[in-house]
Amino acid sequence: MRERELIALLVIAGGFLLITPVLSVNRVTDFMIFCIFAMSFDLLYGYMGRLSFGHLLFLGTGAYCSGLFLKYISRNPMLAIIVGILVAGLLGMLIGLIIVRTTGACFALINLAFNHIGFFLVLSPLRRITNGEDGFGIHALPFGFLNFSSRTTMYWFVLICLVLVFYLLKRVTSSPFGILIRSIKEDETRVKFLGYNTFFYKWVTFVLAGSVAGLAGTLTALNYNYVNPNVMDVHGNVGAVFACLIGGAGSLYGAVVGGVSYMVISNYLPIYIQRWEMFLGFALLMIIFRFQKGIWGYLQSVWEYVERKKTVMKAIGVGAVKR
Amino acid sequence: MSDLISTQDLTKRFDGLVAVNQVNFSLQEGQVAGIIGPNGSGKTTLFNLLSGFFPPSAGRITFCGKDITKIPPHKRVGMGMARTFQLVSVFDSLTVWENLVLSTIRFKRDQQSVQSFFFAPARKRIVVDDCLKSLELVGLEKKASARTSELSYGEKRMLEIAIGLSLKPRVLLLDEPLSGLSDHEIGGVLDLIHRVKKNFALVIIEHKISKIVSVVKKLSVMNEGKILCEGDPEQVLRDPAVRECYWGKEEENCST
Repeated sequence: MRERELIALLVIAGGFLLITPVLSVNRVTDFMIFCIFAMSFDLLYGYMGRLSFGHLLFLGTGAYCSGLFLKYISRNPMLAIIVGILVAGLLGMLIGLIIVRTTGACFALINLAFNHIGFFLVLSPLRRITNGEDGFGIHALPFGFLNFSSRTTMYWFVLICLVLVFYLLKRVTSSPFGILIRSIKEDETRVKFLGYNTFFYKWVTFVLAGSVAGLAGTLTALNYNYVNPNVMDVHGNVGAVFACLIGGAGSLYGAVVGGVSYMVISNYLPIYIQRWEMFLGFALLMIIFRFQKGIWGYLQSVWEYVERKKTVMKAIGVGAVKR
Repeated sequence: MSDLISTQDLTKRFDGLVAVNQVNFSLQEGQVAGIIGPNGSGKTTLFNLLSGFFPPSAGRITFCGKDITKIPPHKRVGMGMARTFQLVSVFDSLTVWENLVLSTIRFKRDQQSVQSFFFAPARKRIVVDDCLKSLELVGLEKKASARTSELSYGEKRMLEIAIGLSLKPRVLLLDEPLSGLSDHEIGGVLDLIHRVKKNFALVIIEHKISKIVSVVKKLSVMNEGKILCEGDPEQVLRDPAVRECYWGKEEENCST
């Protein structure tokens, strides 16, 4: 692991540890799960330039599959997590074959359509096992020293998951594959003329994003010990879009910053403003028209400006002469 | 000498318009050919057909003796066919050296393993060094870390050619490489072409006929989707049909 990566991981973990006493263990656990989901969404939207309005399908799949596994097959939480991730990934592999052939509005809407199908599937046709609208409770047995019923254990477990996901995605996005998906975002045709089968790499990204969202889903199920169709509600996708935009799309740091910002707004603003979603709409308009780079993007711009100024000063010799 | 590329009755129709009409074009290994013609004569469409940008309506393309008519563009690149675009096509959001990573690592077996491609940092010394070598060739090594959006149009053109060269092609298709460039920049591109042309076959589409005549060994003139005339550049340019197509019908008696 490189020094910079280690520092980044420590800063992120430290940041969440710092806000925990101010907020609460429960809330910060929620925040961290949402940040994992936001990072998976950003891989598709920020890095590959494919806006999905149905990414919650994978979170819901992860939540339902791990929940059903715990309810009907085994109460081993680790196996449930693996099952949730694998099924979400497999679903990504299957529907990805159709979805990644599309771009733009078509990509967004096909995702939305599949999300709707998933939502109504758990709500009605599968209600015998999913208990429809009411959802179902789950109870995971302790795994070694990990007792998932304990809030504190869950908090630490989710924090470790967040750090691992960040590390994994950081490695992936800094690799030649990361350059490839960023290039696809800018000009997919050109990438084909560099000798790459863009369909395959878009599909891999889609499956990876789906699997990570599936992990967020399994953690949601374990955190609440309960699963209902809300985890797959298409309206929830707005949160991921908002998080990426406010944090700065195309950066994992941006996804984390945006994820926390969105969760703070959605958790605390309703205390003061009844129709807080209206505020969200205005904020979104502001971001689109005036704040396109997001929080992290602007911080990066300031950093680049300072660095450039330093270089120019050095080049013209300012500071070298002492009077 | 056997043909590297050859087309047989290659045709492309867009609804009622026949953009390329039964073209039979051939290029030999190591040959430098030029394609000229007025706007809308089908030059770029021919390039798009050769490189697989879209499929032909009729006809056949062979490359190294193999029928590639239905082969997708990424596989054609793998076979040794690289191209540039009429409008410069580089990745503005990446840094200059990052633009060369994807084309460079195609030829590094150790970099193509799943672990290296998906998880190893692209900044690996070996990759960056190779990218810098390609940039040195076009004189952009000092701007390696700059954002591509900050380059001038001419520099972007050079970068695009560097990307094409780093694909180690058997044939490089250059679509109007001199368009939009200043005289100084044109000199740079022509100098680069002179330096690298011995390594592979080259096809150049260009409007500035006088600039490429000294570079190409074979010149084809296209008009209304057909090859009007082809052969030695000097002879082709003296052909009355070519002169008429380019400069209109010459008046026998010009009176003021």
